Amino acid sequence: MENQQTKNPEYVIEMIHITKEFPGIIANDDITLQLKKGEIHALLGENGAGKSTLMSVLFGLYQPEKGEIRKNGQVVKISSPNDATALNIGMVHQHFKLIDVFTVLDNIILGAEDTRAGFLSRKAAREKVKALSDRYGLKVDLDAKVEDITVGMQQRVEILKMLYRDNDILIFDEPTAVLTPQEIDELMQIMKNLAAEGKSILFISHKLNEIMEVSDRITVLRKGKYIGTVNTADTDKQALSNMMVGRPVQLVVEKEEAHPGEVVLDVEHFTVPSRLHHRNAVNDISFQVREGEIVCIAGIDGNGQTDFIYGLTGLEKVSGGRALICGQDVTHLSVKKRGKNLSHIPEDRHKHGLVLDFTLEQNMVLERFIEPEFQHGCFIRFNAIRAYTEKLIEQFDVRSGQGPVTRVRAMSGGNQQKAIVARELDRDKKLIIAVQPTRGLDVGAIENIHRMLVEQRDAGKAVLLVSLELEEVMSLSDRILVMYEGEIVGELNPKETNVQELGLYMTGAKRQNRQEGSDHHE
Amino acid sequence: MIIMNKEPFFQRDGVRTLMASLISILIGMLSGVIVIVIVGLTNDSISTGGIWDGIRMVFLGVFNKGRDAATGALTFGFNPAFMGNMLFRAMPLILTGLSVAVAYKTGLFNIGAPGQYLAGTCATLFLALSIPTSSIPAWMVWLIAFLGGMLAGALWGCIPGLLKSLLNINEVIACIMTNWLAACLVTWFFDMSSLKNVLEGTKTGYIYKTSTVIHDVIVDGVRTVAGANVPEGATVLATRGGVATSRMGLDTVFRGSQVNGGIVIAILLAVLFYIIMEKTTLGYQLKACGSNRYAAKYAGIQDRRNIVLSMAMAGAMAGTAGSLYALSGNTEFFWTTYQSLPAVGFTGIAVALLAVNNPIGVIFSGIFMSYLNINGQQLTNLTAYNEYITDVIIAVIVYLSAFSLIIKTWLGRKAKKRKAAGVSADRKGEVRG
Repeated sequence: MENQQTKNPEYVIEMIHITKEFPGIIANDDITLQLKKGEIHALLGENGAGKSTLMSVLFGLYQPEKGEIRKNGQVVKISSPNDATALNIGMVHQHFKLIDVFTVLDNIILGAEDTRAGFLSRKAAREKVKALSDRYGLKVDLDAKVEDITVGMQQRVEILKMLYRDNDILIFDEPTAVLTPQEIDELMQIMKNLAAEGKSILFISHKLNEIMEVSDRITVLRKGKYIGTVNTADTDKQALSNMMVGRPVQLVVEKEEAHPGEVVLDVEHFTVPSRLHHRNAVNDISFQVREGEIVCIAGIDGNGQTDFIYGLTGLEKVSGGRALICGQDVTHLSVKKRGKNLSHIPEDRHKHGLVLDFTLEQNMVLERFIEPEFQHGCFIRFNAIRAYTEKLIEQFDVRSGQGPVTRVRAMSGGNQQKAIVARELDRDKKLIIAVQPTRGLDVGAIENIHRMLVEQRDAGKAVLLVSLELEEVMSLSDRILVMYEGEIVGELNPKETNVQELGLYMTGAKRQNRQEGSDHHE
Repeated sequence: MIIMNKEPFFQRDGVRTLMASLISILIGMLSGVIVIVIVGLTNDSISTGGIWDGIRMVFLGVFNKGRDAATGALTFGFNPAFMGNMLFRAMPLILTGLSVAVAYKTGLFNIGAPGQYLAGTCATLFLALSIPTSSIPAWMVWLIAFLGGMLAGALWGCIPGLLKSLLNINEVIACIMTNWLAACLVTWFFDMSSLKNVLEGTKTGYIYKTSTVIHDVIVDGVRTVAGANVPEGATVLATRGGVATSRMGLDTVFRGSQVNGGIVIAILLAVLFYIIMEKTTLGYQLKACGSNRYAAKYAGIQDRRNIVLSMAMAGAMAGTAGSLYALSGNTEFFWTTYQSLPAVGFTGIAVALLAVNNPIGVIFSGIFMSYLNINGQQLTNLTAYNEYITDVIIAVIVYLSAFSLIIKTWLGRKAKKRKAAGVSADRKGEVRG
């Protein structure tokens, strides 16, 4: 039935019945995606649904086993990213591809430079970039170095890169993951401007709010299969999440009133030096987390949250202050000794959380392999590890190609994260530090992890959450601490505040005098 | 909920790795054959029969029994002397290969095996030759010398390990520097010592044999050193040397060869390291550090300690190689090492590479390297060709080993294609989650 439609030239890009297989997995199973000229088309799906694979097929990184791609009704073959560029397809990757020490202008023209007698000529390029930037409202400082500008501006540079190359099909791969609420609003406006000017946009996301706000049509994938395409005007968030997950999903975290008990974590005048500059990354912060509550550290990425967690968990040295966990001073203890009362879901699952070349079962006992349950006289008890892993897989619904013996590298990001969460929560420690535990996860997985964290809280654990997602901060936490430039600038009650106020604290526009250690915060 | 499909034999990771190594060997051997043919065809003095002899010798040199006295044709069969020598020469190669492989599992490239080998040799010779066998039984001196060599290698390996873990200095640079430090120090130590060979003064350079029994004697009031035959009327002050590894009966099987119990020790150590690496928590920690040092640190594994430990174990293996070679009793050590490093240390890299850093694989690749070595020697002795042809083969194999991942991927793709053609219909039914 769709084949009749495909001849229709109203579509600029059509991906017809695309099937892409990997060993053991059909990543894209007969998927059809049609992009109209001038529309914002959202591609929605859980992790591992096949969104990235489909975009990689469009961008020429993978060759599909079946199906064809058409541009303006003509069948085209895209066998490399160069082919995609030649067809005016551009992509903003989730992790920007910019050279930090180059200026904005140089980054934009890199690879498409004008030269005169072999020398770089920036004049015409500057005019063109300026014109584009005015036309679409993309404010950038052309002469600033990329390392000095904000993440939001870096993203605008990426967009200008595509426009400079006259791309008219723009792919945005999870563009809002790294932005502040204000920057997200700006991006939404930019995307609308681009579409109004006739650019066609493919917007990959699993954030329903943004998709509802900005898109015209939505295509939903689930587990590699095509579920359907709907008009945004005819649907709502609940219907979309049900399509995406395949079952009714709870979008709001349901939790009872917190009943804080004994102090579990007591941080006093904590100071961590920065590895980048001479100032302290974390400067003299003090707070407490009690059992039975979820305390969230909110803030824009790079304001000392990461350094604070490194200092608290022993990955970095602390230069001042102290931290007590369950009354024990852990400031200078080894990582292993801190682990007695502490479990840690790390921010960077690839760097700290997992040994990617190990199997799932080897990763599941990363901290526990030394316990008598898993070794006997230094010899690993393989059967015990296998049984334990199978238990966790079952309990936390960790999916992988070959079960316990799957190389973790081969697992999807969401399932890697689930494996870490399973491992850390099952260690059953008094204090749980969760740093961006739902980063890059889909609605279904987020719902699960949120539910588990609330369960841990209700079981009397103290939960310290670090999150950049405001929605998560607002819905999950019992208290919010806002961090700005290495200091805690505000303590808020999520019931009495809103996203806008939080945003003001996060950007340093507002600041509170806090009671604890207030003599040090003017 | 998860469908566990047992992979077919040729799809398994280990099998594909093994196949990739075997293919490297095959291509290397074929290149050797091609070189032999080209040299033979372009050289007037080599006949077709000569080319055929060369080819046979490359593959079967270990099994040759010399030329038939009557016809002059090569004869082949079980040759205990060559077989034994092959095992004897494999011994240090297995150990240095093990040294490189063990460090690699922890993510370290131990290019310092030559220096650790020298440290082991030096310590062993000093202990074996200076502890009087007249006061301590020879087997105990052997044990002390053996363990001393192992320890010296371990300590020498510790240096780059410590530099890496404490100051984050690249272990490759530190290893290269410790290699030459060892080379110069060993020369200096022997030069200062009283262990220089005075028995075989006709030879150029100073050589020592541990099997030689030496007596410190006083003849006519003058203190001197004598060999096995004590001069008449001399007073024996002490007896040294005569400390060699037990032959463990291998000399009766491989008659006329240099082989001794060292090869057994080397194989046992390889098996031991396999067990440590695959079955114990220590191996788990080392591999975790090697694969992802940050994750290891996050999990409370002491990454710094493990790096030092790994280099110490690697150094101990290279030291053992030097120690056992020196303790063979029938080998010679030219102690003026300051100009060149022992090649066996570097060959260890090739051995480990060919074995894909698997300790058990190292046993076979070590034996294979020494098999090529003997073949090359026989090529020089009995044909118009010389041993450098086997060096070409080794070079090609090492080169291809570096590509083994590509060969492995290629093998995987081939198998998949075959499977896709046959059972593509079944794959539709595959369920995820």
